[in-house]
Amino acid sequence: MSNVTCIELIAFLDAYVDDELDAGTRADFDLHLLVCPSCRAYLASYKETIDLARGAAEREEDLAHDAPPELIEAVLTSKSRRSKS
Amino acid sequence: MLADDGYLIERLRTGDDSAFEELVDHHAAPLLAVTRRILRDEEEARDAVQETFVAAFRGIGAFQSDSRVSTWLHRIAVNCALMKLRIRERRHAHARIAENAQDVDALLPHFQADGHQDHSSVSWSESAEEILQREQSCALVRQCIDQLPESYRVVLVLRDIEQLPAGVVAEQLQITRDNLKVKLHRARQALRTLLDPHMRGAM
Repeated sequence: MSNVTCIELIAFLDAYVDDELDAGTRADFDLHLLVCPSCRAYLASYKETIDLARGAAEREEDLAHDAPPELIEAVLTSKSRRSKS
Repeated sequence: MLADDGYLIERLRTGDDSAFEELVDHHAAPLLAVTRRILRDEEEARDAVQETFVAAFRGIGAFQSDSRVSTWLHRIAVNCALMKLRIRERRHAHARIAENAQDVDALLPHFQADGHQDHSSVSWSESAEEILQREQSCALVRQCIDQLPESYRVVLVLRDIEQLPAGVVAEQLQITRDNLKVKLHRARQALRTLLDPHMRGAM
């Protein structure tokens, strides 16, 4: 029988995901996950949240067009101003 | 992924100004994406990119040839964006107090007295990879991130999206590493709550 509750598992879920727990605590967490479908779903969606945040940003960068020409112009102008000063 | 541009830095050091144009051309778009994510304000984001290149040009002597140009510029861009964020926060100190009061508590999971989840969590129907194939899903993820209270949003962006080391982020935000860890865990849980209704079914 697992002696870890959902509240404890979720409170330390980041440490579980980042593999920062000692072996005994990790085994207790694994046992709880084995018997608790709700925490299994929570863990999977927690990991997926991290992947989605990073993945959405990467996708948006892939889809982004070139930088606006006026920005490029402004950068080059400010650099040449500094080079002269 | 960008090819590394160390050769441009070498050319710049020898006074070849055309290398600067190439550097800007290669890196302006991805850096603008970074400053937009942090600042969520187009004008400020563009200013931050401009300041990034000026700072990079002035600090070219500090660039170590064994590092990646993209990583070096990324760090400078994050610093420039955070500087603007701090100025904005000082200007809107009252709004920040109101936000802190609101906090993320409402978006965190709730539990019964026996320690079980108040509402059982349900598996999401698709993998992140499948979801991100759709452009509107990426926009929805971004909208959910933007709904996070500001101090949590910034932590999530810097750690999980920009993937900066914890020590660097804690120092930049002037908080302890323990505080950063708590905030990141809460930010992820809050974002999970915001995404949950969309992810249970097809988006």
